[in-house]
Amino acid sequence: MSISFPDLLFAIINFLVLLVILKKFLYKPLLTMMDEREKMVKSDLENAENAKNEAQEIKEQYTKQMEQAKKEAQQIIEKATRIGEESRETLLNQAREESARMTEKAQEIIRLEKEEALSQLRNEVASLVVLAAGKVIDKTIDQESHEKLIRDFIAEVGDAS
Amino acid sequence: MFATPVYAATAENGAEHAGALFQIFGLEVTSVITTMWGVMLLLAVVSYFATRNMKLVPTSRLQTFMEMVLEMIIGFLTQVMGDRAKAKRYLPLLGTFFLLILLSNYSGILPGALHGTKSHINGLQAPTSALSVTAGFAIIVFFATHIYGIKAKGLGYFKHFIQPIPILLPLNILEEFTKPLSLSLRLYGNIYGEEMVVVGLFGLVPLLLPLPIQFLGLLFGFIQAFVFTLLAAVYINTATAGH
Repeated sequence: MSISFPDLLFAIINFLVLLVILKKFLYKPLLTMMDEREKMVKSDLENAENAKNEAQEIKEQYTKQMEQAKKEAQQIIEKATRIGEESRETLLNQAREESARMTEKAQEIIRLEKEEALSQLRNEVASLVVLAAGKVIDKTIDQESHEKLIRDFIAEVGDAS
Repeated sequence: MFATPVYAATAENGAEHAGALFQIFGLEVTSVITTMWGVMLLLAVVSYFATRNMKLVPTSRLQTFMEMVLEMIIGFLTQVMGDRAKAKRYLPLLGTFFLLILLSNYSGILPGALHGTKSHINGLQAPTSALSVTAGFAIIVFFATHIYGIKAKGLGYFKHFIQPIPILLPLNILEEFTKPLSLSLRLYGNIYGEEMVVVGLFGLVPLLLPLPIQFLGLLFGFIQAFVFTLLAAVYINTATAGH
Protein backbone atom coordinates (compact mmCIF):
# COMPACT_ATOMS: atom_id res chain seq x y z
CA MET A 1 0.00 0.00 0.00
CA SER A 2 2.05 2.84 -1.26
CA ILE A 3 1.47 5.92 -3.30
CA SER A 4 3.10 6.16 -6.66
CA PHE A 5 3.43 9.76 -7.74
CA PRO A 6 3.16 9.12 -11.51
CA ASP A 7 0.01 7.07 -10.98
CA LEU A 8 -1.50 9.82 -8.85
CA LEU A 9 -0.57 12.51 -11.36
CA PHE A 10 -1.88 10.47 -14.27
CA ALA A 11 -5.09 9.71 -12.38
CA ILE A 12 -5.70 13.42 -11.82
CA ILE A 13 -4.84 14.36 -15.40
CA ASN A 14 -6.92 11.48 -16.74
CA PHE A 15 -9.88 12.53 -14.69
CA LEU A 16 -9.65 16.15 -15.80
CA VAL A 17 -9.31 15.12 -19.45
CA LEU A 18 -12.29 12.80 -19.15
CA LEU A 19 -14.25 15.58 -17.43
CA VAL A 20 -13.62 17.89 -20.38
CA ILE A 21 -14.47 15.19 -22.93
CA LEU A 22 -17.68 14.12 -21.20
CA LYS A 23 -18.70 17.73 -20.65
CA LYS A 24 -18.40 18.36 -24.36
CA PHE A 25 -19.81 15.10 -25.65
CA LEU A 26 -22.17 13.92 -22.94
CA TYR A 27 -23.40 16.37 -20.33
CA LYS A 28 -23.79 19.52 -22.37
CA PRO A 29 -25.59 18.05 -25.39
CA LEU A 30 -27.74 15.67 -23.39
CA LEU A 31 -28.74 18.20 -20.75
CA THR A 32 -29.54 20.76 -23.44
CA MET A 33 -31.62 18.18 -25.22
CA MET A 34 -33.41 17.14 -22.05
CA ASP A 35 -34.13 20.75 -21.11
CA GLU A 36 -35.41 21.40 -24.58
CA ARG A 37 -37.65 18.38 -24.40
CA GLU A 38 -38.94 19.42 -21.01
CA LYS A 39 -39.69 22.88 -22.37
CA MET A 40 -41.40 21.39 -25.39
CA VAL A 41 -43.50 19.02 -23.32
CA LYS A 42 -44.48 21.88 -21.04
CA SER A 43 -45.44 24.12 -23.93
CA ASP A 44 -47.25 21.25 -25.61
CA LEU A 45 -49.24 20.63 -22.47
CA GLU A 46 -50.05 24.33 -22.26
CA ASN A 47 -51.10 24.35 -25.89
CA ALA A 48 -53.27 21.32 -25.32
CA GLU A 49 -54.86 23.02 -22.32
CA ASN A 50 -55.48 26.16 -24.38
CA ALA A 51 -56.92 24.15 -27.22
CA LYS A 52 -59.18 22.32 -24.80
CA ASN A 53 -60.42 25.58 -23.33
CA GLU A 54 -60.97 26.99 -26.77
CA ALA A 55 -62.88 23.90 -27.81
CA GLN A 56 -64.98 24.17 -24.68
CA GLU A 57 -65.72 27.81 -25.46
CA ILE A 58 -66.64 27.02 -29.02
CA LYS A 59 -68.83 24.20 -27.86
CA GLU A 60 -70.62 26.47 -25.42
CA GLN A 61 -71.07 29.07 -28.10
CA TYR A 62 -72.35 26.45 -30.46
CA THR A 63 -74.78 25.12 -27.90
CA LYS A 64 -76.02 28.61 -27.22
CA GLN A 65 -76.46 29.24 -30.91
CA MET A 66 -78.25 25.97 -31.30
CA GLU A 67 -80.61 26.84 -28.50
CA GLN A 68 -81.28 30.23 -29.96
CA ALA A 69 -81.85 28.74 -33.37
CA LYS A 70 -84.27 26.25 -31.89
CA LYS A 71 -86.11 29.00 -30.08
CA GLU A 72 -86.26 31.04 -33.24
CA ALA A 73 -87.50 28.08 -35.20
CA GLN A 74 -90.15 27.49 -32.59
CA GLN A 75 -91.17 31.12 -32.79
CA ILE A 76 -91.33 31.00 -36.56
CA ILE A 77 -93.45 27.88 -36.44
CA GLU A 78 -95.77 29.46 -33.91
CA LYS A 79 -96.04 32.61 -35.94
CA ALA A 80 -96.69 30.63 -39.09
CA THR A 81 -99.34 28.57 -37.34
CA ARG A 82 -101.00 31.72 -36.03
CA ILE A 83 -100.91 33.38 -39.44
CA GLY A 84 -102.29 30.24 -41.01
CA GLU A 85 -105.08 30.06 -38.52
CA GLU A 86 -105.86 33.71 -38.92
CA SER A 87 -105.90 33.53 -42.67
CA ARG A 88 -108.06 30.43 -42.50
CA GLU A 89 -110.49 32.27 -40.31
CA THR A 90 -110.47 35.28 -42.61
CA LEU A 91 -110.95 33.17 -45.68
CA LEU A 92 -113.72 31.25 -44.01
CA ASN A 93 -115.45 34.44 -42.98
CA GLN A 94 -115.01 35.86 -46.43
CA ALA A 95 -116.40 32.73 -47.96
CA ARG A 96 -119.35 32.79 -45.60
CA GLU A 97 -120.05 36.43 -46.33
CA GLU A 98 -119.68 35.82 -50.01
CA SER A 99 -122.04 32.91 -49.98
CA ALA A 100 -124.51 34.84 -47.87
CA ARG A 101 -124.34 37.75 -50.25
CA MET A 102 -124.75 35.50 -53.23
CA THR A 103 -127.71 33.77 -51.70
CA GLU A 104 -129.31 37.11 -51.00
CA LYS A 105 -128.68 38.29 -54.50
CA ALA A 106 -130.04 35.11 -55.94
CA GLN A 107 -133.17 35.40 -53.84
CA GLU A 108 -133.54 39.01 -54.89
CA ILE A 109 -133.26 38.04 -58.51
CA ILE A 110 -135.70 35.24 -58.06
CA ARG A 111 -138.13 37.60 -56.37
CA LEU A 112 -137.82 40.19 -59.13
CA GLU A 113 -138.24 37.60 -61.84
CA LYS A 114 -141.26 36.21 -60.14
CA GLU A 115 -142.76 39.63 -59.76
CA GLU A 116 -142.12 40.44 -63.37
CA ALA A 117 -143.52 37.16 -64.48
CA LEU A 118 -146.58 37.69 -62.35
CA SER A 119 -147.22 41.19 -63.64
CA GLN A 120 -146.76 39.98 -67.19
CA LEU A 121 -149.10 37.15 -66.55
CA ARG A 122 -151.63 39.55 -65.08
CA ASN A 123 -151.49 41.80 -68.11
CA GLU A 124 -151.77 38.86 -70.44
CA VAL A 125 -154.68 37.36 -68.60
CA ALA A 126 -156.52 40.74 -68.43
CA SER A 127 -156.09 41.28 -72.14
CA LEU A 128 -157.36 37.83 -72.85
CA VAL A 129 -160.27 38.26 -70.51
CA VAL A 130 -161.21 41.59 -72.01
CA LEU A 131 -160.84 40.15 -75.49
CA ALA A 132 -162.98 37.18 -74.50
CA ALA A 133 -165.54 39.38 -72.82
CA GLY A 134 -165.62 41.60 -75.89
CA LYS A 135 -166.28 38.62 -78.01
CA VAL A 136 -168.95 37.48 -75.64
CA ILE A 137 -170.78 40.77 -75.53
CA ASP A 138 -169.74 41.37 -79.12
CA LYS A 139 -169.08 44.88 -78.84
CA THR A 140 -165.85 46.64 -79.03
CA ILE A 141 -165.07 48.85 -76.41
CA ASP A 142 -163.14 52.00 -77.04
CA GLN A 143 -159.61 52.30 -75.93
CA GLU A 144 -160.37 54.25 -72.86
CA SER A 145 -163.06 51.95 -71.44
CA HIS A 146 -160.92 49.00 -72.44
CA GLU A 147 -158.08 50.11 -70.26
CA LYS A 148 -160.42 50.89 -67.44
CA LEU A 149 -161.84 47.44 -67.66
CA ILE A 150 -158.38 45.89 -67.50
CA ARG A 151 -157.43 47.99 -64.48
CA ASP A 152 -160.61 47.01 -62.68
CA PHE A 153 -160.06 43.42 -63.54
CA ILE A 154 -156.49 43.46 -62.37
CA ALA A 155 -157.57 45.09 -59.18
CA GLU A 156 -160.04 42.36 -58.63
CA VAL A 157 -157.74 39.55 -59.70
CA GLY A 158 -154.80 41.13 -57.89
CA ASP A 159 -156.69 40.96 -54.71
CA ALA A 160 -157.30 37.35 -55.33
CA SER A 161 -153.69 36.50 -56.22
CA MET B 1 2.10 6.08 3.57
CA PHE B 2 -0.09 8.72 2.11
CA ALA B 3 2.33 11.37 1.01
CA THR B 4 5.45 9.49 0.04
CA PRO B 5 5.81 9.20 -3.68
CA VAL B 6 7.21 5.83 -4.48
CA TYR B 7 8.92 6.07 -7.77
CA ALA B 8 10.93 3.04 -8.60
CA ALA B 9 9.94 1.02 -5.59
CA THR B 10 6.65 -0.04 -7.13
CA ALA B 11 8.28 -2.51 -9.42
CA GLU B 12 10.00 -4.31 -6.60
CA ASN B 13 7.77 -4.22 -3.58
CA GLY B 14 4.49 -2.65 -4.69
CA ALA B 15 1.72 -5.02 -3.78
CA GLU B 16 -0.66 -3.40 -6.18
CA HIS B 17 1.47 -2.91 -9.23
CA ALA B 18 3.01 -5.08 -11.82
CA GLY B 19 5.46 -2.34 -12.59
CA ALA B 20 5.76 0.19 -15.35
CA LEU B 21 4.80 -0.71 -18.86
CA PHE B 22 6.49 2.28 -20.48
CA GLN B 23 7.25 5.92 -19.78
CA ILE B 24 5.84 9.25 -20.87
CA PHE B 25 7.96 12.35 -20.12
CA GLY B 26 9.90 10.22 -17.72
CA LEU B 27 6.74 9.22 -15.84
CA GLU B 28 6.05 5.53 -15.53
CA VAL B 29 2.80 4.34 -17.04
CA THR B 30 1.39 1.34 -15.21
CA SER B 31 -1.45 -1.06 -15.87
CA VAL B 32 -3.91 0.97 -13.81
CA ILE B 33 -3.30 4.00 -16.02
CA THR B 34 -3.61 2.12 -19.29
CA THR B 35 -6.82 0.51 -18.03
CA MET B 36 -8.07 3.94 -17.06
CA TRP B 37 -7.34 5.14 -20.58
CA GLY B 38 -9.35 2.22 -21.87
CA VAL B 39 -12.27 3.16 -19.63
CA MET B 40 -11.97 6.78 -20.72
CA LEU B 41 -11.89 5.77 -24.35
CA LEU B 42 -14.99 3.63 -23.87
CA LEU B 43 -16.86 6.46 -22.13
CA ALA B 44 -15.77 9.00 -24.73
CA VAL B 45 -16.78 6.78 -27.65
CA VAL B 46 -20.13 5.87 -26.10
CA SER B 47 -20.80 9.52 -25.30
CA TYR B 48 -19.82 10.58 -28.78
CA PHE B 49 -22.14 8.09 -30.43
CA ALA B 50 -24.93 8.73 -27.93
CA THR B 51 -25.00 12.44 -28.66
CA ARG B 52 -23.91 12.44 -32.28
CA ASN B 53 -27.36 12.27 -33.77
CA MET B 54 -29.56 13.44 -30.94
CA LYS B 55 -33.26 13.84 -31.42
CA LEU B 56 -35.94 15.40 -29.29
CA VAL B 57 -37.77 12.12 -29.53
CA PRO B 58 -34.85 9.70 -29.30
CA THR B 59 -34.67 6.98 -31.89
CA SER B 60 -31.28 5.63 -30.92
CA ARG B 61 -31.18 3.29 -27.97
CA LEU B 62 -27.80 4.63 -26.97
CA GLN B 63 -29.18 8.14 -26.54
CA THR B 64 -32.10 6.82 -24.52
CA PHE B 65 -29.76 4.75 -22.39
CA MET B 66 -27.36 7.61 -21.67
CA GLU B 67 -30.28 9.90 -20.89
CA MET B 68 -31.54 7.30 -18.46
CA VAL B 69 -28.12 7.07 -16.83
CA LEU B 70 -27.82 10.85 -16.52
CA GLU B 71 -31.39 11.14 -15.28
CA MET B 72 -30.60 8.53 -12.63
CA ILE B 73 -27.48 10.38 -11.50
CA ILE B 74 -29.31 13.71 -11.49
CA GLY B 75 -32.14 12.18 -9.49
CA PHE B 76 -29.71 10.80 -6.96
CA LEU B 77 -27.79 14.08 -6.72
CA THR B 78 -31.07 15.96 -6.34
CA GLN B 79 -31.88 13.80 -3.34
CA VAL B 80 -28.50 14.54 -1.81
CA MET B 81 -28.38 18.24 -2.62
CA GLY B 82 -32.10 18.90 -2.39
CA ASP B 83 -32.16 20.98 -5.54
CA ARG B 84 -32.35 19.82 -9.12
CA ALA B 85 -30.69 22.93 -10.51
CA LYS B 86 -27.78 22.42 -8.15
CA ALA B 87 -27.58 18.75 -9.05
CA LYS B 88 -27.37 19.72 -12.71
CA ARG B 89 -24.67 22.28 -11.97
CA TYR B 90 -22.40 19.74 -10.31
CA LEU B 91 -23.39 16.85 -12.57
CA PRO B 92 -20.28 17.01 -14.81
CA LEU B 93 -17.84 16.56 -11.94
CA LEU B 94 -19.84 14.09 -9.87
CA GLY B 95 -21.25 12.20 -12.84
CA THR B 96 -17.77 11.75 -14.26
CA PHE B 97 -16.61 10.41 -10.91
CA PHE B 98 -19.46 7.95 -10.82
CA LEU B 99 -19.03 6.69 -14.39
CA LEU B 100 -15.25 6.52 -14.24
CA ILE B 101 -15.15 4.77 -10.86
CA LEU B 102 -17.96 2.36 -11.75
CA LEU B 103 -16.32 1.24 -14.99
CA SER B 104 -12.90 1.20 -13.32
CA ASN B 105 -14.24 -1.10 -10.63
CA TYR B 106 -15.83 -3.36 -13.20
CA SER B 107 -12.69 -3.45 -15.33
CA GLY B 108 -11.15 -5.61 -12.59
CA ILE B 109 -13.80 -8.26 -13.18
CA LEU B 110 -12.85 -8.64 -16.84
CA PRO B 111 -11.20 -11.95 -17.53
CA GLY B 112 -7.43 -11.66 -17.53
CA ALA B 113 -7.42 -8.55 -15.40
CA LEU B 114 -4.51 -8.07 -13.09
CA HIS B 115 -5.20 -8.98 -9.52
CA GLY B 116 -2.54 -7.82 -7.14
CA THR B 117 0.66 -8.91 -8.80
CA LYS B 118 -0.79 -11.87 -10.63
CA SER B 119 -1.15 -10.62 -14.16
CA HIS B 120 -2.72 -12.37 -17.06
CA ILE B 121 -2.84 -9.48 -19.45
CA ASN B 122 -0.33 -6.70 -19.13
CA GLY B 123 -1.99 -3.31 -18.98
CA LEU B 124 -5.31 -4.46 -17.54
CA GLN B 125 -5.84 -3.77 -13.86
CA ALA B 126 -8.74 -2.08 -12.09
CA PRO B 127 -7.56 1.54 -11.62
CA THR B 128 -9.48 1.85 -8.37
CA SER B 129 -7.58 -1.08 -6.88
CA ALA B 130 -4.57 1.24 -6.65
CA LEU B 131 -4.40 3.71 -3.79
CA SER B 132 -2.52 6.20 -5.97
CA VAL B 133 -5.48 6.49 -8.31
CA THR B 134 -8.13 6.77 -5.61
CA ALA B 135 -5.94 9.32 -3.85
CA GLY B 136 -5.80 11.29 -7.07
CA PHE B 137 -9.60 11.27 -7.22
CA ALA B 138 -9.84 12.29 -3.57
CA ILE B 139 -7.46 15.19 -4.15
CA ILE B 140 -9.69 16.41 -6.97
CA VAL B 141 -12.69 16.21 -4.64
CA PHE B 142 -10.70 18.10 -2.00
CA PHE B 143 -9.87 20.98 -4.32
CA ALA B 144 -13.24 20.99 -6.03
CA THR B 145 -15.01 21.23 -2.68
CA HIS B 146 -13.07 24.28 -1.56
CA ILE B 147 -13.06 25.96 -4.96
CA TYR B 148 -16.83 25.55 -5.26
CA GLY B 149 -17.25 26.72 -1.66
CA ILE B 150 -15.27 29.90 -2.28
CA LYS B 151 -17.08 30.42 -5.58
CA ALA B 152 -20.44 30.10 -3.88
CA LYS B 153 -19.77 32.12 -0.74
CA GLY B 154 -16.67 34.20 -1.40
CA LEU B 155 -14.29 34.66 1.46
CA GLY B 156 -17.16 34.02 3.84
CA TYR B 157 -16.58 30.39 3.02
CA PHE B 158 -13.69 30.24 5.47
CA LYS B 159 -15.97 31.30 8.30
CA HIS B 160 -17.13 27.73 8.68
CA PHE B 161 -13.66 26.75 9.88
CA ILE B 162 -14.20 28.71 13.09
CA GLN B 163 -17.70 27.52 13.67
CA PRO B 164 -19.37 26.81 15.96
CA ILE B 165 -16.48 28.15 18.09
CA PRO B 166 -13.04 29.38 16.94
CA ILE B 167 -11.19 26.90 19.11
CA LEU B 168 -12.35 24.13 16.81
CA LEU B 169 -10.27 25.57 13.95
CA PRO B 170 -7.52 22.92 14.06
CA LEU B 171 -10.09 20.17 14.29
CA ASN B 172 -12.07 21.61 11.38
CA ILE B 173 -8.94 21.83 9.26
CA LEU B 174 -8.01 18.29 10.19
CA GLU B 175 -11.47 17.17 9.17
CA GLU B 176 -11.02 18.65 5.73
CA PHE B 177 -7.95 16.47 5.27
CA THR B 178 -9.48 13.33 6.65
CA LYS B 179 -12.25 13.59 4.08
CA PRO B 180 -10.06 12.81 1.06
CA LEU B 181 -8.13 10.29 3.09
CA SER B 182 -11.25 8.33 3.98
CA LEU B 183 -12.60 8.70 0.45
CA SER B 184 -9.51 7.27 -1.18
CA LEU B 185 -8.89 4.54 1.39
CA ARG B 186 -12.49 3.35 1.35
CA LEU B 187 -12.63 2.97 -2.41
CA TYR B 188 -9.17 1.45 -2.69
CA GLY B 189 -9.68 -0.89 0.25
CA ASN B 190 -12.95 -2.27 -0.98
CA ILE B 191 -11.91 -2.90 -4.54
CA TYR B 192 -8.41 -4.11 -3.70
CA GLY B 193 -9.74 -6.30 -0.90
CA GLU B 194 -12.38 -7.85 -3.06
CA GLU B 195 -9.82 -8.63 -5.70
CA MET B 196 -7.45 -10.14 -3.17
CA VAL B 197 -10.21 -12.43 -1.93
CA VAL B 198 -10.86 -13.50 -5.50
CA VAL B 199 -7.15 -14.15 -6.01
CA GLY B 200 -7.01 -16.17 -2.82
CA LEU B 201 -10.02 -18.28 -3.70
CA PHE B 202 -8.70 -18.67 -7.21
CA GLY B 203 -5.53 -20.09 -5.73
CA LEU B 204 -7.52 -22.65 -3.76
CA VAL B 205 -10.09 -23.81 -6.30
CA PRO B 206 -10.09 -21.98 -9.59
CA LEU B 207 -13.44 -23.38 -10.69
CA LEU B 208 -16.67 -21.83 -9.43
CA LEU B 209 -15.40 -20.99 -5.94
CA PRO B 210 -14.43 -17.35 -6.71
CA LEU B 211 -17.75 -16.84 -8.47
CA PRO B 212 -19.82 -15.66 -5.47
CA ILE B 213 -17.13 -13.12 -4.57
CA GLN B 214 -16.91 -11.97 -8.16
CA PHE B 215 -20.65 -11.62 -8.16
CA LEU B 216 -20.40 -9.59 -4.97
CA GLY B 217 -17.71 -7.62 -6.76
CA LEU B 218 -20.35 -6.45 -9.20
CA LEU B 219 -22.41 -5.21 -6.28
CA PHE B 220 -19.44 -3.67 -4.46
CA GLY B 221 -18.26 -2.02 -7.64
CA PHE B 222 -21.54 -0.23 -7.92
CA ILE B 223 -21.85 0.54 -4.23
CA GLN B 224 -18.35 1.98 -3.98
CA ALA B 225 -18.83 4.19 -7.05
CA PHE B 226 -22.13 5.24 -5.54
CA VAL B 227 -20.67 5.96 -2.11
CA PHE B 228 -17.73 7.92 -3.49
CA THR B 229 -20.08 10.09 -5.55
CA LEU B 230 -22.49 10.44 -2.66
CA LEU B 231 -19.79 11.63 -0.27
CA ALA B 232 -18.30 13.99 -2.83
CA ALA B 233 -21.79 15.39 -3.40
CA VAL B 234 -22.32 15.80 0.33
CA TYR B 235 -18.97 17.60 0.76
CA ILE B 236 -19.67 19.95 -2.12
CA ASN B 237 -23.20 20.53 -0.92
CA THR B 238 -22.09 21.45 2.60
CA ALA B 239 -19.38 23.70 1.21
CA THR B 240 -21.75 25.58 -1.06
CA ALA B 241 -24.87 25.60 1.14
CA GLY B 242 -25.69 28.85 2.93
CA HIS B 243 -25.87 28.67 6.67
